[in-house]
Amino acid sequence: MSVTVEYSTGELMAAVMARQLRPGEVAIMGAVSALPQAACRLAQLTTAPGLWFIAGGSGAVNPHLEPLVASSCDERLLNADAVMTLPDVILVEGRGDLIDVFFAGGLQIDIRGNCNLGPVGSWSHPTLRGPGGVGLPFVARAGRVVIYSMSHDRRTFVEHVDFVSGPGFPAGPGGLPGGGPSLMVTPLCTMDFDPGTHLARLATLHPGVTLDQVQEATGFAPILPVKLETTPAPTPEELSILRRLDPAGLLRSGASR
Amino acid sequence: MFLSSAEAIERLVPEGTGLLAVGGMHMHNNPMELVRELVLRRRGVRRLLTSPSASLAADLLIGAGLVDEVATAYIGFEHLGLAPAYRRAAESGAVTVLELCEAAIVHGLFAGAGGLPFTALPPGLELSDVSTANPEHFHTITDPFTGERVLVAAPLRPDVALIHALAADERGNVFFAGAHFTDRLMAMAAKTVIVQVERMAKAGEIAAQRAESVLPGFLVTAVVVAPRGCLPTASHRAYGYDEPALRSYLKLSRTEDGFAEYLQINGMAAAGVTA
Repeated sequence: MSVTVEYSTGELMAAVMARQLRPGEVAIMGAVSALPQAACRLAQLTTAPGLWFIAGGSGAVNPHLEPLVASSCDERLLNADAVMTLPDVILVEGRGDLIDVFFAGGLQIDIRGNCNLGPVGSWSHPTLRGPGGVGLPFVARAGRVVIYSMSHDRRTFVEHVDFVSGPGFPAGPGGLPGGGPSLMVTPLCTMDFDPGTHLARLATLHPGVTLDQVQEATGFAPILPVKLETTPAPTPEELSILRRLDPAGLLRSGASR
Repeated sequence: MFLSSAEAIERLVPEGTGLLAVGGMHMHNNPMELVRELVLRRRGVRRLLTSPSASLAADLLIGAGLVDEVATAYIGFEHLGLAPAYRRAAESGAVTVLELCEAAIVHGLFAGAGGLPFTALPPGLELSDVSTANPEHFHTITDPFTGERVLVAAPLRPDVALIHALAADERGNVFFAGAHFTDRLMAMAAKTVIVQVERMAKAGEIAAQRAESVLPGFLVTAVVVAPRGCLPTASHRAYGYDEPALRSYLKLSRTEDGFAEYLQINGMAAAGVTA
């Protein structure tokens, strides 16, 4: 008989993202990235020893996250294995053969994995002026892109983004220099991409979430897999590590499950 | 060399400055003492260039109506929310947004600092809409070495850069502590550089720093000593950001009246200032 342990949506998403990472890979993330940072640290301590991760604008390489912090440029991130200058980080992103995993997000995310952090609606007179994409154009060059969003609704998951900050798979001819989007992780589910069409395909439903719920909340029709699995819940070990990294509960501010 | 913030802005940032660069990243190391002085003096600039991720400094200048055009890759407050004044101005068309990405900013500043006529960007960056949205700044040319199409971007050569460093010596050599983001690069590319510091350096302190943490005095036009002058943003190795104060700004600046109230409360209302 298994013991039921409660966990938050953020903790579940961190565990899911950690399982995407492999030993020795190099991962990078941008603004508002406490979640992928926690995922990387968790992976280092469990399934991906030797993983490297660069925490956004701080330039910190393998920040120890004692504790996890909210801002990607917090000086506490500099408690790390090494620190790069920000111009050096941007050189490394441009090389294209060093970054294995790029964590991305958007105010709008579409069926091909395009992400928009810029204008929503018209470019010159947007209905919502997003903050801007920072380094998201670089996702085109990364080994693979893991997209995460703390919102799963029809405003966020749209058929086509209004502005491409971070390129997903192109609709027309021509490909990406990098490997493209590999997984989207949301509060409801995970979606991967169909290898033939490069369109989003539902992969797993989080525990307690129904297919109807996902379809209702998604502005495009994801491809349905032959067999729809349930996202494995975080293990007690994973939760114990995450809670040690995150005494302030940055990952627990959302709903409990 | 050593000026008060009022003198520095009055003498070195003329009304209608063509390109003003402001340093710091997110809610860290924003040169707020200098920015407050710009707001107080209602000193308008034609174009503002931000670091790859701007926050309070840019939002205040835009909200105060001092910026015609903003060249940026991000203005926001991370986990605290979107930038209210930037949103309002961009959505109404009061400010023109010149979309950039961090590569165009950093490589553009390298080009500005090194005297390069333009900079070429890595393949794949043309797939975002950034270059399409800002045709003034980007072109596609033929790479003379490979014959491939290549995206190129304009150099960035700010007329004035406002940045923050930890300390300065009497000759205007300054050093950065913690992360120094793109501040040093911005200063190297700019014609006039005003550095806001927390304090004077101790004897021998600058010589003991690593080369990449120092900006020599011949690249610095003026130093303004402003202890705790980055607040409510953080100053690395000095103090953290004041989250309640940032939240209070975000709450007030949701409306134009609230924004005006924020300026009043924080001593930035223009009334009573003599130039």
